[in-house]
Amino acid sequence: MDTTVNPSLAQRLPGEIDEVDLIPVRTYWQMVRRRFLRNRLAVVAFLLLVVLIALALIVPTLTGEMYRKTSLIKPYAGVELAAPLGYDDIGQNIFLRLMKALQTSLFIGFAAVSIIFTVGVSVGAIAGYFGGWVDNILMRVVDVVLSLPSLFLVIMLVAFFGGGNVWVIVFAIGLTGWTTAARLVRATFLSLREADFVQAAQALGASRFRIITRHMLPSALAPILVAVTLGVADSVVTEAALSFLGFGISPPEASLGNMMTNAINYMIRQPLLIVYPGVTLILIVLAASFLGDGLRDALDPRQRAEG
Amino acid sequence: MTDRVKVKEIRTGVSETQDDLIEVKDLRTYFPTQDGVVKAVDGVSFEIEAGKTLGIVGESGCGKSITALSIMKLIEKPGRIVGGSIKLDGFEIVNATDDEMRQIRGNEISMIFQEPMTSLNPVYNCGDQIAEAVSLHDDMGRREAHNKAVEMIRDVGIPDPKHRAKQYPHELSGGMRQRVMIAMALSTDPALLIADEPTTALDVTIQAQILELMKALREKNKMAIMLITHDLGVIAEMADEVVVMYAGKVVERSDVNTIFAQPHHPYTHGLLASIPRLGERHKRLAVIKGVVPNPLNLPKGCLFKRRCPYAMPVCDTAPPFQQLGPNHSSLCWLTADQKPPAIGANASGVIAEETAAAMSPSK
Repeated sequence: MDTTVNPSLAQRLPGEIDEVDLIPVRTYWQMVRRRFLRNRLAVVAFLLLVVLIALALIVPTLTGEMYRKTSLIKPYAGVELAAPLGYDDIGQNIFLRLMKALQTSLFIGFAAVSIIFTVGVSVGAIAGYFGGWVDNILMRVVDVVLSLPSLFLVIMLVAFFGGGNVWVIVFAIGLTGWTTAARLVRATFLSLREADFVQAAQALGASRFRIITRHMLPSALAPILVAVTLGVADSVVTEAALSFLGFGISPPEASLGNMMTNAINYMIRQPLLIVYPGVTLILIVLAASFLGDGLRDALDPRQRAEG
Repeated sequence: MTDRVKVKEIRTGVSETQDDLIEVKDLRTYFPTQDGVVKAVDGVSFEIEAGKTLGIVGESGCGKSITALSIMKLIEKPGRIVGGSIKLDGFEIVNATDDEMRQIRGNEISMIFQEPMTSLNPVYNCGDQIAEAVSLHDDMGRREAHNKAVEMIRDVGIPDPKHRAKQYPHELSGGMRQRVMIAMALSTDPALLIADEPTTALDVTIQAQILELMKALREKNKMAIMLITHDLGVIAEMADEVVVMYAGKVVERSDVNTIFAQPHHPYTHGLLASIPRLGERHKRLAVIKGVVPNPLNLPKGCLFKRRCPYAMPVCDTAPPFQQLGPNHSSLCWLTADQKPPAIGANASGVIAEETAAAMSPSK
């Protein structure tokens, strides 16, 4: 051949373009991790929550029933190796009680949130996807639940079904707490329903269930996650309030709320008694909120970490 | 479901019939609103043969997209197909159940939307989205579907397909995304591809590449294309036959050469005249005066008469869809050489109606 033809040009298919940009490909989860790790506050909150969960899992398991062991010699006894926080008025080891309370609170928090998540997301997704009268009915139910004073409702449920039972408390909190999640998911679904990619999925012959779960839910993940982490914090606080008022977990079982109730009587003599459960409660709530914020920013696929 | 098997056969060349792949007859899609019924598509008929391209032109709001969505049965409430028939190789789509439609959508009929920027799901990478389209209709393992996706990305001319399959829509340019959309639409080897303004959102060089690509794939897969556009250049490039729509009705139909060489309907004339040409610097661009009539308040008789330079009293009677040639018909009173009809420009009433009925091909 006489004419020199650029071999790469000659081989090119019609319509092909020579556009190869060299951005390194990162998978979605690599990008999420990268963005999350850049948020210091969220990382600290995450580590704190991990530590709290680990403590709540390990310490009560190792020490068994020791948290409810009273002693006639030990009341108000000072710090010692076996009791880094000292003893309370009836000689119970405060550290062990605090750990047990932490376990109870976290368990109730996460269990209630799984109810909130399941009910809230299902109701919100159905209302938002189908719209019309389905949406109307479900949202009026949400309004009714929201219009009831929630703590009062929880107290009523607990009083009716028997206090002191962890599952009753979980159920009561879950039953009143799902409304925010439902509203958030509904709002997201209402706007997603009009999205072009949802219509494109319909045009591909995807079923309704598939469109809801595979195409719309992931895009609604960010608000759901925030609702869920805030839900953990809320549920822990509600449980503490219940127990503080004497409707929740009662002694000799330990809960952050009933530890505080007990500590009120000794405010002057041993003010630290109320500080320990109080600070623990604050730490849980703060850690959950900051973690939620960090996750929301990290999970948004439209954001991309620079550099 | 036997009909669908038949469709696949035709394309693979087992039976070389001249039958039309899709036959739309007198399609009517109405939207009841508070102010009255909007007749978005009102009596549209056309056929497309396998391996051919039908271009549908018309200005915004003339019912092009609603026609396409009617064929997919994706009309949003309160819209409804109130009459007519859509036959996909003999299978009546208008009466199809939801389950049957899900089988047809994506499998027999695929659609490319005009907005490549928003028609891909932002939370999945391109490979996964194409793989989903594949696995929705073919019984395929995950890995197999993914391999097929990479193959499709290569087929639409995207270099380095393995790498691209792992990228998310926001990492791709508009042209690339439109290619991914095309790859997704073609991954199930459809009999009919509906392309709703596939190149409107793209710049000209990418537009040319996408059109070339669609042509190449049409030859390769023997599929029919229904190309919706308001760009007559795209029509000249791609289409075999053309349907011109105005206010929900087909006003002119012919093969692509006739429409450009001998347009008959004044609206088609107007469309052709309003294309800017290179070299004619100091002339004002011809425009069609006025706007599309309000669909709630359509004029009596010819829908185009208020904007038509040839409008005559007879136009108050609905014009006939007259046959001008073997492949050429037009919804207008004017004769083939643009003269008033034989019954006279002022004819009206029963005489005009009867003449129109006699001139229209019997339905």
